[in-house]
Amino acid sequence: MTGGPALDAHVRLTLGAEEFQLDARLSLDAGVLVLFGPSAAGKTLTLKALAGLLAAVTGHVRVAGATLLDTSCGLRVPAHERRIGYVPQHQSLFPFLDVAGNVAFGLPRALRRGDRVERWLDELGIAHLRARRPESLSGGERQRVALARALAVEPRLLLLDEPFASIDDDGSAVLRAVVREVIVRHSVPAVLVTHDVDEALDLGDRVVRLDRGRTVETGTPLEILARARRVFVRGRIASCERTDGGRARGALEDATVEGPAHLFEEGSEAVVAGTIARGPRASG
Amino acid sequence: MTSEAAFPIVLSLRVGLAALTIVVPLGLALACLQARTRYRLRRAVDALILLPLVLPPSVVGYFLIVVLGRRGLVGALLDRALGVRLVFTPAAAVLASAVVALPLFVKTAQPALEAVPGELEAVARTLGLSPISVLVRVTLPAAWRGIVAAGVLGFARAIGEFGATLMFAGNLPGRTNTMPLEIFTAYQTGDDARAALYVGVLTGLSFCVVLVAGRLGPRVLAS
Repeated sequence: MTGGPALDAHVRLTLGAEEFQLDARLSLDAGVLVLFGPSAAGKTLTLKALAGLLAAVTGHVRVAGATLLDTSCGLRVPAHERRIGYVPQHQSLFPFLDVAGNVAFGLPRALRRGDRVERWLDELGIAHLRARRPESLSGGERQRVALARALAVEPRLLLLDEPFASIDDDGSAVLRAVVREVIVRHSVPAVLVTHDVDEALDLGDRVVRLDRGRTVETGTPLEILARARRVFVRGRIASCERTDGGRARGALEDATVEGPAHLFEEGSEAVVAGTIARGPRASG
Repeated sequence: MTSEAAFPIVLSLRVGLAALTIVVPLGLALACLQARTRYRLRRAVDALILLPLVLPPSVVGYFLIVVLGRRGLVGALLDRALGVRLVFTPAAAVLASAVVALPLFVKTAQPALEAVPGELEAVARTLGLSPISVLVRVTLPAAWRGIVAAGVLGFARAIGEFGATLMFAGNLPGRTNTMPLEIFTAYQTGDDARAALYVGVLTGLSFCVVLVAGRLGPRVLAS
């Protein structure tokens, strides 16, 4: 069964004696949904609930029209039948297999030595690493292998749990470009967990902000992330020019920035997402 | 070395290997159960597994007779249904060795299984593996060092078993006289050279076992 939104889910879970309650609502038509929020907001838990890795989850999960969880009618498709790819933050490569073995791991036996593995090794730029063991790889290389392994089984949804967290800035930027390219090329919808604004702006089509297990906001990256940082720019657009793609660039006059003190340091550059609140004034 | 002198060595090795065929599958099942699940009677099962390690071997032997002896709870059934009598047979020596080796195997394998990161198993499930396939293709390969170390230690414990074997299998020359029993007999009859032979063999084997088990100690998975 296909069709319908890429993801429509409402997952609930109580841990301990009601010490932590997850109540997350997610929806995505296509592209990348970013789960954004502070530590312990329930982001990883939400991914695991979508993947079917937590037994006590209630609610519903529908991916591309296929219902994978609906506890109102007792439906619970097990994790190994969901076809949801999962790339955890740490410790996800099988240490007893080389890179090619890791990428081929989820394929039927007949396909493990075939073209499909080679294609994914090439596409993720790791063909030269095929005989290497995970412990000899850098953080970025490991995440590429994990990504190739998850994509090789042609998942209907890809879950990425802070995939750039253990990589340096340069490596992170390169891997981000790779992820964006692969997701677009193969039209795989994805849910990305991050608490990095740049990552969210760079990759996200929709953002869900979680706080203490609950969905508190849903919207476009610009809408949500500008509020998440609670920084506002005020000023008058003094001049502007139209650029390609229906966009424009302008300069502000008498601009001020307001926000939490810890974000402010003289001499640092402010990159702020915002909205234009009013139309042109009649006079300055 | 005469064949009569070699018999206890060969018998002990055969008993040890045969005991492993019981200990490894049963021990792996118990180690997986204890390492991966939380249930109400878990501590009680843990204590039961450990019991043969702390009970006097004569008590273990007594229990084996009560359960598997000719008039035992299960032994009488085996006798009537299949005509199988275990007491005072090499099979009894295998069972006695397996019972005392089992806790050592489980308690060595269990931490190795617990050390396998849950994320590896989670990823494997999302890649389409059923829980049994995850165990076979991920958990066991990732924990193989600890499992082999458990098997080696279990084998050493099995070939060194004395008290329970004496009670349940007896000390019948040419039939159930394993090396530890033969050391006891030789010492009792003043045959020091014969005792020293088996002491030497068992000490050498145990030394090798400790070396191998040390090399196979658990390693932190780095991936």
